[in-house]
Amino acid sequence: MKRSRRVILTMMGSGTIGAISMGFVKRPNCGPGFVREAGSNLDGRPITTCRPAAYGGFGRWPHHLHGHGHGHGGG
Amino acid sequence: MQRIACNEREDWQATAAASGFDFHTIDGARYWDERAFYAFTLAEIEDTIEGPTGEIDAMCLELCARVVEDERHLKRLRIPEAFWPLIRDSWRRDEGSLYGRLDLSYGGSGPAKLLEYNADTPTSIFEAAVFQWTWLEQGMERRLLAAGADQFNSLHERLIEAWKKFGTGKHLHLAGMLESPEDTTTLAYLEDTAKQASLETTLLDIESIGWREDSGFVDLDERTIALAFKLYPWEWMFHDAFGERLAEASTRWIEPPWKALLSNKGMLALLWEMFPGHPNLLPAFFEDEPNAVRLGASFVRKPLLSREGASIAIVRHGTVVAEQQGPYGAEGFIRQALAPLPNFAGQYPVLGSWLVDHVPCGLSIREDTTPITGNMSRFLPHAIL
Repeated sequence: MKRSRRVILTMMGSGTIGAISMGFVKRPNCGPGFVREAGSNLDGRPITTCRPAAYGGFGRWPHHLHGHGHGHGGG
Repeated sequence: MQRIACNEREDWQATAAASGFDFHTIDGARYWDERAFYAFTLAEIEDTIEGPTGEIDAMCLELCARVVEDERHLKRLRIPEAFWPLIRDSWRRDEGSLYGRLDLSYGGSGPAKLLEYNADTPTSIFEAAVFQWTWLEQGMERRLLAAGADQFNSLHERLIEAWKKFGTGKHLHLAGMLESPEDTTTLAYLEDTAKQASLETTLLDIESIGWREDSGFVDLDERTIALAFKLYPWEWMFHDAFGERLAEASTRWIEPPWKALLSNKGMLALLWEMFPGHPNLLPAFFEDEPNAVRLGASFVRKPLLSREGASIAIVRHGTVVAEQQGPYGAEGFIRQALAPLPNFAGQYPVLGSWLVDHVPCGLSIREDTTPITGNMSRFLPHAIL
């Protein structure tokens, strides 16, 4: 509707997609089911502890329905 | 409205690859198809598509205001009762919507008719906002299109402006099923526009969302998820194990929970009930309610919850004449009056009319050789001539 409009992409294209699709946030090094947390011990010195966190609580339902298809255009 | 055959750009695949559009061809079949385009007059765009899109959106908001306060309607939509407060609270807090897409039947005459509202997880925003615009610009440069052609398309700049409303400087998580190239491209594009609005972003798989009792939803990097765009339907979130955590988490979701009302095809029946005879609506009724018989033996049968045309059937004189198989329908069906799609050279186009922050601002077209638009329907560009 405006001939002067400019569409600029800052991240996408030329291999960026591959990096994005594989490069989501790193797993913490506490092992599966745990996340790292900074804190302090009784002496006040900083320590890192691993606290439990649950993962995988989203993303399972579509497997009840069918293999995931070509997107969500219908909803 | 015309369908005009035209020459392809010789290098369109390379152009697509360079812009990150890597699902232009799926299983050897074209998804992006520029061997033809649809041409509109400016009056058709403004009077028949843009104006009615805004009007339909306004009706949808009025519908939500009524439905969240009426348990009878929530039951008719088969929304699980456990999530009524989540939906109601998100509406009362006026949680913002980023975008949505109305699917319209229109062939160049008469009013456009609403087929459904992709209110929760619409895809094809990248090809609508970016790649068809590139097609228009290159088409004119290479004299494949008339000089001075235009396009109903300000999606890109509207998205950037809409993100700013969610909070410049905030951290946005974008989650979806990253095994799907289309979903990943949609998320990457929206991430790009969010970054241009100066939001910080993290892209992650929906399965990588975690839960901690002391801080709610977290990513894999221990960061609390305060603001999340999810390309994953609300009804699936309700069914997932973390569904029961939604109400106690402070995460603000985009699209917000109240959009679950509008992505439910029962909204088509509720709209007709609330705005009977509106020129842009089709008569529609819940199949298990007595007034469904008003449509007689010819109608379109749609599950309350379905995606990409799955589990939809066209019934004419009591006989199923077209059907897309699918896994949906457990929650029930609606019946919608038949609005046969226009036929251009043996192709049936559906118009996708986009809203960003409730502003009509773009058009996309999917066409197929069958009258049910499915997940393999091709995307064709459009121009205003």
